[in-house]
Amino acid sequence: MTSLSSQQIERPALAPSSRLQGLRDGKLPRRLAVAALVLLLGFLSLYPLSMLLYGSLHTTPPGIPGSFDLSGYSQVLTWPTAVLFANTVGISLLKTIISLALAVLFGWIIARTNTPARGALEVLITLPFFVPPILTAMAWGMLGNPQVGVINLAWRWITGSDDALVNVYSYGGVVWHMLQYSTPFLFLFVVEAFRAMDPALEEASRMCGASQWRTFRGVTFALMMPAVVTAFLLSFIRGLENFESPLFFGTPAKIEVITTAIYNSIHHQSIANYQFATALSFAIMALMFLLVLWQWRLLRGKSFQTVTGKGYSPRLIDLGRWRWLTFALCVAFFVISVVLPIGQLILGSFFQFFGFYQWDMLTLEHYRSVLGNSEVWRAFRNTFMLGLVGASTTMLLGAIVAYISTRTRWAGRQVLDVLAWLPWMMPGMVLAVGFLWGFAFLPSAISIYGTIWALLIAYVALGTPIAVRVMSAAYRQLSFDLEECSRVHGATWWQTLWRIMIALAWPSFAVGWVLTFFGIMRELSASVLLYSVGSEVLSVVLLRMWENGQAETVSVIGLMMMLLVFVFRWVQLRLIKRYISTL
Amino acid sequence: MLMKLKHAALAVGVAGLVASLAFPASAQDAGWDSVVAAAKKEGKVVVYSMALGAPYYLAVLKSFEAKYGIKVESLDLRASELAERVRTEQAAGRFLGDAEIITTTMIEEQRKTGDYIQALGAIPNVKNLRAPFKATEFSVPAYVQPMGILINTKLVKPEDEPKSWEDLNDPKWKGKILSDDMRPLGSGNTMFAILQKKLGAAFNEKLAEQKPVFSRDMRNDARRVARGEYPIYVPQVFAFASDLKGLPVKVVIPKEGAVYAMMEFAMLKNAAHPNAARLLIDHFLEQDSQLLYANGWMLPVVEGVADRANDDAKAFANAKLMGPALLEERPAMMELAKKLYQ
Repeated sequence: MTSLSSQQIERPALAPSSRLQGLRDGKLPRRLAVAALVLLLGFLSLYPLSMLLYGSLHTTPPGIPGSFDLSGYSQVLTWPTAVLFANTVGISLLKTIISLALAVLFGWIIARTNTPARGALEVLITLPFFVPPILTAMAWGMLGNPQVGVINLAWRWITGSDDALVNVYSYGGVVWHMLQYSTPFLFLFVVEAFRAMDPALEEASRMCGASQWRTFRGVTFALMMPAVVTAFLLSFIRGLENFESPLFFGTPAKIEVITTAIYNSIHHQSIANYQFATALSFAIMALMFLLVLWQWRLLRGKSFQTVTGKGYSPRLIDLGRWRWLTFALCVAFFVISVVLPIGQLILGSFFQFFGFYQWDMLTLEHYRSVLGNSEVWRAFRNTFMLGLVGASTTMLLGAIVAYISTRTRWAGRQVLDVLAWLPWMMPGMVLAVGFLWGFAFLPSAISIYGTIWALLIAYVALGTPIAVRVMSAAYRQLSFDLEECSRVHGATWWQTLWRIMIALAWPSFAVGWVLTFFGIMRELSASVLLYSVGSEVLSVVLLRMWENGQAETVSVIGLMMMLLVFVFRWVQLRLIKRYISTL
Repeated sequence: MLMKLKHAALAVGVAGLVASLAFPASAQDAGWDSVVAAAKKEGKVVVYSMALGAPYYLAVLKSFEAKYGIKVESLDLRASELAERVRTEQAAGRFLGDAEIITTTMIEEQRKTGDYIQALGAIPNVKNLRAPFKATEFSVPAYVQPMGILINTKLVKPEDEPKSWEDLNDPKWKGKILSDDMRPLGSGNTMFAILQKKLGAAFNEKLAEQKPVFSRDMRNDARRVARGEYPIYVPQVFAFASDLKGLPVKVVIPKEGAVYAMMEFAMLKNAAHPNAARLLIDHFLEQDSQLLYANGWMLPVVEGVADRANDDAKAFANAKLMGPALLEERPAMMELAKKLYQ
């Protein structure tokens, strides 16, 4: 009895000392930091997802009396849905494989060869990614429709054939339109990984007698695995969630995919079937989760560190005469994916109507109407502010989460990694409903709903997965020796973080920032459900204009956004060049 | 004593009735004046709309602001998003919207599935509604969006122009009709449902044999027809063709009548600015407001407007209507369209 009571007395005495010990060795602050991050990411991802989970298990959406059942999931487990899944996976896989191959090729050409005009090509190749998909869909519809598409008219004129060369309203058209976006997206990932490659490893391979191709396959490509696998996964998942391409080019060819089925069940049913839409989305999420597990398994226990303490200068491969072939390949891609569709948009923006290029229809009215439209400018200001704050916050959060999950052994780091993946795994139009429900049903004292904060929070949540992936891939290439060396030479943890980690991961941070910024500029699903009067964003204004038949005006704004991309990418590349050598 | 009181009450009641019959307008005016005063005091009104920034809609809002000095905040959403936003806000007790302008069937659905809208009370301009449009306790017609057939005038010779819906089933148009997708909810299915009811099942069966090509972008589809991808597009919202002047397209009003979607006003439950909402609804039924819609090739719902429309808009403002599509028939019609267009 005495001993029992002494234990009871001793326990509180031990606790403060262990806490102090924990504080001294930094465990407690770390745990608190991880807990805070888990809470934050939980609010950003788990909270809206939990609302959607409720929606998938309940016969009615939140706030309406109903009962719990599994009818949503039983609707998913049917043969037609299985066909939808197969269709969706097939299309996404095909476009991911092709675009990854192209992105790796272009990444290698731009970062590692002496191909002429690489700087300009790097910016030009990425342009299609930043154009609203609805505009390129319209442009490709004009170029590749089998009846009067410009390409087919030219083909018939040249060959005298009655048949069409291309038909964008087909499986091929769906994949092609998706490629326009996934190739530059993957390229942005891959090119930085190529740059962060120590050529000494390749030289060693060559000195051991390996051919150029074997060196590329066995060393270069193998060392880029984190970036390539991550990019593959992100692109494949985005392919599963792609909506515009199958809607515009698949519908006429009776091609239906998961997202068009979800769209129909939410937007085009007699009564919106949220139970089926959310259940179907969770089924996709399960598939994506398996893919992420595959990625972890693939990368686990392997080292991909190419940036070490040993100095190196990126050596360019002299291609000799072949450099003109690589140059031609890049130019060909630029011409097909940028000049053709964007050329249509530029040309069309100077005529009263797209596709009617008559002298009497020449006009500057579309430019005047955009420049003189106060609503556009207000939306532009709102979007720009949300983009700046949102992209910076997202990248900061992503950089911290990625650092903890890849560079530390802290408890809870894997939870952070999983939480950061979640928003990417849910189709955007469904997650948007989760945000709507989530923000509306918060306690009334928390006034996020109906304010610009709702948009900002949704944007940070939607951007976090990509921010974490970009930064994780960058951190994985940095050797631990660099940090240890810095600490051994007396640098503080903060100095090490600033001078080593941030300095070396800065190019990837900048790429992630641009991707997130333009992701915000383009986001529509959540924006249209969460915006309020006064906080209109560009995507909502573009939707209004499109629905009002102002396609030409929408193109003018799309072109202005592209101009902005030019400026951003130019500043970004200049900053990278300057700061890489000074930090 | 009791009898005296009863007689007195009866006398007052009769006197009241006589008075209200003798001076109904002035009594109502007095009541409406107080609504106008209260609306001005409220200072603003928040409207949820499917108009997505249509110029005629914005013009009516502007004229309302100028006339009454009451600010209008219009939140533009697509139909399903609007319905979900209203439902979620009402369920969560966040009463941000005052009025909505949506289709009749959506209002019926709201009434059927929840308690989102409230009785409107008297709206003076309701008396100007023309047949067959009627206000109910909860909604007031705002405008009509009729739909017909769009043709490319370069590809369709004048003698071949379809005059009726039945003409679409002429074998020469096989594979040459572009259509809004008839399977999901939307304009395509509205047309399908109305034609099924009015022209019989055989019509839709024959139309399916014509193998129309489906699309889901009404705004761009009209331009595709103008560019010559297809000679015919259905159903063409008249108003959407009003801004295609100068292109080789023509809107045909079929002789059986134009299929249509009816837009109505309703007031949301616990509206923060109920008087301003009622005043706005009343303003929408003013002849000048309706004329803005008529000139945009919509069909006005009040008397004395259609004939005042611009020359190019008159035919559309006076179009014979065929419909409407009914809420209770929707699921069956969507199912049937899916079956015919597998």
